[in-house]
Amino acid sequence: MQEFLNQFFDVGFMVDHFDEVIEGFWLTIQVSVVSGVLALIWGLILASMRQLPGKPLAPIRFLTIAYIDVFRGVPLLLLILLIAGGVPALEFLPESVRIPQWFGRPDTFWYGVTAITITYGAYMAEVYRAGIEAVPPGQTEAARSLGMNHRQAMNNVVLPQAVRKIIAPLLNDFIALTKDTTLVSVIALNEAVLVGSDIQSETFNSSALTLGAIMFLAITLPLARLVDKLISREQSRFTRGAPRVEAL
Amino acid sequence: MEASTTTGPMLRLENIHKRFGKLEVLRGIDLEVAPGEVVCVLGPSGSGKSTLLRCVNLLEPPEQGEIFVEGKDICKGPGSAAGEAGWELDFVRQRVGIVFQQFNLFPHKTAMENVTMAPEKVLGKATAEARAKATQLLERVGLADKLGEYPERLSGGQQQRVAIARALAMDPQVMLFDEVTSALDPELVKEVLDVMRELAEEGMTMIVVTHELGFAREVGDRVVFMDEGTIVEQGRPADVLDNPREERTKRFLGLVLDR
Repeated sequence: MQEFLNQFFDVGFMVDHFDEVIEGFWLTIQVSVVSGVLALIWGLILASMRQLPGKPLAPIRFLTIAYIDVFRGVPLLLLILLIAGGVPALEFLPESVRIPQWFGRPDTFWYGVTAITITYGAYMAEVYRAGIEAVPPGQTEAARSLGMNHRQAMNNVVLPQAVRKIIAPLLNDFIALTKDTTLVSVIALNEAVLVGSDIQSETFNSSALTLGAIMFLAITLPLARLVDKLISREQSRFTRGAPRVEAL
Repeated sequence: MEASTTTGPMLRLENIHKRFGKLEVLRGIDLEVAPGEVVCVLGPSGSGKSTLLRCVNLLEPPEQGEIFVEGKDICKGPGSAAGEAGWELDFVRQRVGIVFQQFNLFPHKTAMENVTMAPEKVLGKATAEARAKATQLLERVGLADKLGEYPERLSGGQQQRVAIARALAMDPQVMLFDEVTSALDPELVKEVLDVMRELAEEGMTMIVVTHELGFAREVGDRVVFMDEGTIVEQGRPADVLDNPREERTKRFLGLVLDR
């Protein structure tokens, strides 16, 4: 038992390595937030392109659907390797794009952010679509009958209602995204897992990795509870007789 | 009103055809509506009444036929490759308002915001101006004390009256009513019909799809009876309702009155 505790939960060991792990975790947070925000925006753009009306725009809809299908089906790990190994070799690109060092972050940071944004943009586009399709068609008809064009109807009527329905599933995706940022460790970005794993192989003690796990839980558990709360709140809005919850 | 300056019909439909897949819902409808006229459309469910209304403002563009609003052809070459390019969407939607059976109020907006949204976003009116007009319209439909309420806090009758005010906010020349009282509890029907009656008295051109025979008789200038996608019979309400010529009309009225 003592051996088990020493291997995984050596508090003294955790304290000794706290600075290194938290530094790695801080990088995890940065990757998560930057790619999370970008994926949120990119997903909305994809979902909007998928909803464009009319025959002339059919090719755009088709390409968007193809994109979503492809990148939901390709493993993120593979995509990270593809980008980190492939993009630097594309000589026709300017060096600032091939080997980006934007905002004082290393190139591996940006390769990771790009891969995660590409993949999670596709996931989130599907969430947006579910939200858009959950808004009754009568809403669009009412908006169009009042003279709004497609874009005005989307922006003023459909999306505000859709977003309310999908905050919880989007947060779920964000939790998954945060955990998936650890995949960037394969291209040697020193995030929490790589730091912990390096310490593990040097010292044969896993407590630094456990510390990383605790840090993840500190972020993901409150988010998971928040998701539950939002879901039950959304449901109570449509429950007969329930007290009306203030509109978001 | 601009309407009275127009000579000729406010609205003219010529040989309208509409199909959904294999089902031909409208089979050649001709209809003229004069300025200020109130036309009530009756008929069994599935007869194409609602589709006809939705064709008029191009929510369901017809495959064949022409629609003229104030003499302007609003769907040149329907079904042609021109598609939406040939439709005068802006023109028709700023002249023709519609009220739906299911109200379709925007649930995330207050009564006031429901009414001001289109004038602000589509016509570019200033907020103060739009709100002043919305206040006036909501007072007119008897909801002066409900300006800040969200739709879910309003009764069906109140919601439908907000929907009428919302359509009127665009200053339409023609109002379409698509079974607007069918989803309401019986005791709420009258308050909505009263608003429509006032509107008719003020000279609004209206097409009213309804099962309310009393309303058709009292308020309608003309009753149109539809069945299976065609107009079976039309005329003054008293003539059509009391002395129908066609067998199908008689049968339908018999069934409705028997209730």
